[in-house]
Amino acid sequence: MRQIPIDFGFREEHDLLRKEARRFLGERCPMSEVRRLADDPLGHDPTLWKEIGGLGWLGVALPEAYGGAGLGSVALCLLLDEMGRRLVPSPFLASLLASFAIDAGGSESQKALWLPEIASGTRIATLALTEPSGGFEPDSVRATASPCEGGFVLRGQKTHVQDARNAGLVVAPFREPSGQVSIFAIELPSPGVVIEAEVGVDPTRRSARVAFEGTRVGASARLEAPGAAALEHAHVRGFAALAAEMVGAADATLELTRQYAIDRKQFGHPIGFFQAVKHPIVDVMVGVELARNHALGAAAAIDHADPCKAESASRMAKAMASDVFSLAVRKGVQLHGGYGFTIDCDVHHYFKRALWSRATLGDAPHHRHRLAAMLVDRDVLASGAP
Amino acid sequence: MTPPKEDVEPREIAEFRREVRAWMEAHKPPDPGFKLPQSFLEVESERQFDFLRNWQRKVYEAGYLGLDWPAEYGGRGDALKRQRVVSQELTRAGAPFLVNVIGLQWAGPTILVYGTDAQKKRMLQPILSAEEIWCQGFSEPGSGSDLASAQARAEKQPDGSYRVTGHKVWTTLAHHAKWMILLARTDPNAGKYEGLSFFLFPMDVPGVTVQPLIKMTGEGGFNQVIFDSAPMPADALLGKEGQGWQVALTTLLYERGAAEGSGGGQASASGEGIRRVVSVARRAARENGSAAADPVFRDRMAQLWIEEEALRLSAMRMRIPALTADRPHALQLMNKLVFSEYYQRLTDLACEMLGPDGALWLGEPSAPDRAEWPRAYMNSFGMTIGGGTSEILRNILGERVLGLPKTR
Ligand SMILES: Cc1cc2nc3c(=O)[nH]c(=O)nc-3n(C[C@H](O)[C@H](O)[C@H](O)COP(=O)(O)OP(=O)(O)OC[C@H]3O[C@@H](n4cnc5c(N)ncnc54)[C@H](O)[C@@H]3O)c2cc1C
Repeated sequence: MRQIPIDFGFREEHDLLRKEARRFLGERCPMSEVRRLADDPLGHDPTLWKEIGGLGWLGVALPEAYGGAGLGSVALCLLLDEMGRRLVPSPFLASLLASFAIDAGGSESQKALWLPEIASGTRIATLALTEPSGGFEPDSVRATASPCEGGFVLRGQKTHVQDARNAGLVVAPFREPSGQVSIFAIELPSPGVVIEAEVGVDPTRRSARVAFEGTRVGASARLEAPGAAALEHAHVRGFAALAAEMVGAADATLELTRQYAIDRKQFGHPIGFFQAVKHPIVDVMVGVELARNHALGAAAAIDHADPCKAESASRMAKAMASDVFSLAVRKGVQLHGGYGFTIDCDVHHYFKRALWSRATLGDAPHHRHRLAAMLVDRDVLASGAP
Repeated sequence: MTPPKEDVEPREIAEFRREVRAWMEAHKPPDPGFKLPQSFLEVESERQFDFLRNWQRKVYEAGYLGLDWPAEYGGRGDALKRQRVVSQELTRAGAPFLVNVIGLQWAGPTILVYGTDAQKKRMLQPILSAEEIWCQGFSEPGSGSDLASAQARAEKQPDGSYRVTGHKVWTTLAHHAKWMILLARTDPNAGKYEGLSFFLFPMDVPGVTVQPLIKMTGEGGFNQVIFDSAPMPADALLGKEGQGWQVALTTLLYERGAAEGSGGGQASASGEGIRRVVSVARRAARENGSAAADPVFRDRMAQLWIEEEALRLSAMRMRIPALTADRPHALQLMNKLVFSEYYQRLTDLACEMLGPDGALWLGEPSAPDRAEWPRAYMNSFGMTIGGGTSEILRNILGERVLGLPKTR
């Protein structure tokens, strides 16, 4: 069984990308921008989006044949870590997830049609997974696709769809009468697709309910590969991507808290002198670094290891990132005292992002549930631990 | 994208691994039929000791220890990564541990850094062969976490030799040791740190009394050592007089797994721990089936699997400077804390899943795995306390990695 390479498949050019991203975002996306965009009706800055498209970040891990850079998932992991730190409000993650699904399930011509547009940022895309049942894994798809003259009729509800109101393409799984799940790519706006904004806790992440009310699509809207497997593959990449972003955001929260513990004095000492303050900050740091191990491990597993290893690694990454980001923001608010409880302190932006992120693409208990099945019922370690 | 690699390791390492694995299978000693200690911290009887020492000698003679130590001192002048392979394969094979851990992993590497050529020639080879066992005389009754306050005196004699008077405690393996790395005060008038020196102390001189201490498991393995004007030669000094604290910090880096350079030893997280706990879960009868079917236990096992894998990934990531640039050394410095606390939860979970059977003790024939789990859980506190407690390690991480103000 192919394992994660001991060097994670890491190369110097990955690090150059990370450094460039840190510099660029430091200039273009300071906290004042995040605050401004949090109140903006659109929720992101189209100029910044164009620049990000121009930098090729959306295509970092997409194949070169379809407008990507072919740098692989480790590079993407480092990039998302940086974007998470800055809480960049943009449809980046939504587009990325959609591109994963098309990359996994599309035919040559479907990929050639959509991936270059997504990679360059000219078409914002999104992946609609969750249904009102709460399920988002392939086995819980209830929305239906019925064959009709020249194509399909789509019916069903998807919730918590990121950036749906800005998107020009929505990718979503539907169940066919045979019971098989297929993925469809539907251009927006489209008659019969009703989009209603949701009011979310994190204003830097916009979402909507998307209803398919007998939407007619052509046969070519159905991605070629069997949907369940393609969706699983897209999921695995999505868990890893979101985990990487969360690690960066958790680290930024840690950094705010650490600095405050040095600057703020009480009882004649910086509060970081007291172990009731110091030790939880250390626990957050330890958690962040371990979660970063997993984010990198998942990325490397996606590029180099068996699908089974990639699945366990990315579920571990998302589970650990969810717990650690939650801990970081909990301690972040608490250790900033009264100030931490105000809208003036930056920590609340991270707090809200943590609430959104941990619930998106499966929380820690969800992934541990699936991991336990791999560990105990499928006995994956027995078939060759390192 | 890099082309997917056929294998995760360079071919020469993979070949070496196959060779070592085959050797372990062929030479791993059979169960001796008496209770073996779970780690080097609990070695008691002569027969346990002889069994373990013979095993280490065999591994050394096969050429699998000291791979990265210079050939002139009994090593093989080879790469550390090959030694790592041996450590991993020892764990994987379920082979007995190497008894001279303090020599191999702490004293030896410290001597390699600070020793004179003569000291290296004299001391290093018998560490590898287990001919000479080492112990560590750092802690004292009044100086535990605050190690630099140690009071044992090493008084210089007119001929340049020293005499030691004092009291060391929790001294693992002192009852089998030929040598001790000793932290003692050479200048009582100098500052707390500046007054300390570091010695390679011969245990077989007059004036040394070793008294065993009994652990909560009923096992021995550590001792108190009382020095009454015990003599040691001038060349017992390692480094310079007054440099003892600095030398001791180097030892502590190795001890906590923060620095790597051991002649050979156990790999920490290996995937073995969680596998074994899953096997416990399958055997542990609960009200509605086995613990393996219980959602709460399943959740906790998954969590431990995540932690175990995080540790394994740490060992990989810490060798890639660009991936640790924001917090250099953080992964190394947190290793012991994370491993010992993970291991404590792991063994605790195994006990709890076993229910009342997990509360059966040594000597009870029906105890699962010969009562290994409650014993391991208790012994896990040796790891969260010994070598710097978890609390002290959190202080160190907060201060050195995060730059928080010092706790005094
Ligand atoms: C199994 C085992 C084997 C050992 N083997 C050896 C050996 O071979 N050689 C050797 O020299 N020593 C050895 N030790 C000793 C070990 O290094 C000490 O026990 C350890 O450093 C703690 O010192 P102490 O026991 O005096 O506890 P104390 O320092 O008295 O600590 C008691 C409690 O207070 C906490 N505490 C103390 N100071 C602080 C602080 N500043 N901030 C927060 N919390 C604090 C500690 O974390 C601990 O929980 C061994 C110990 C064990 C358990």
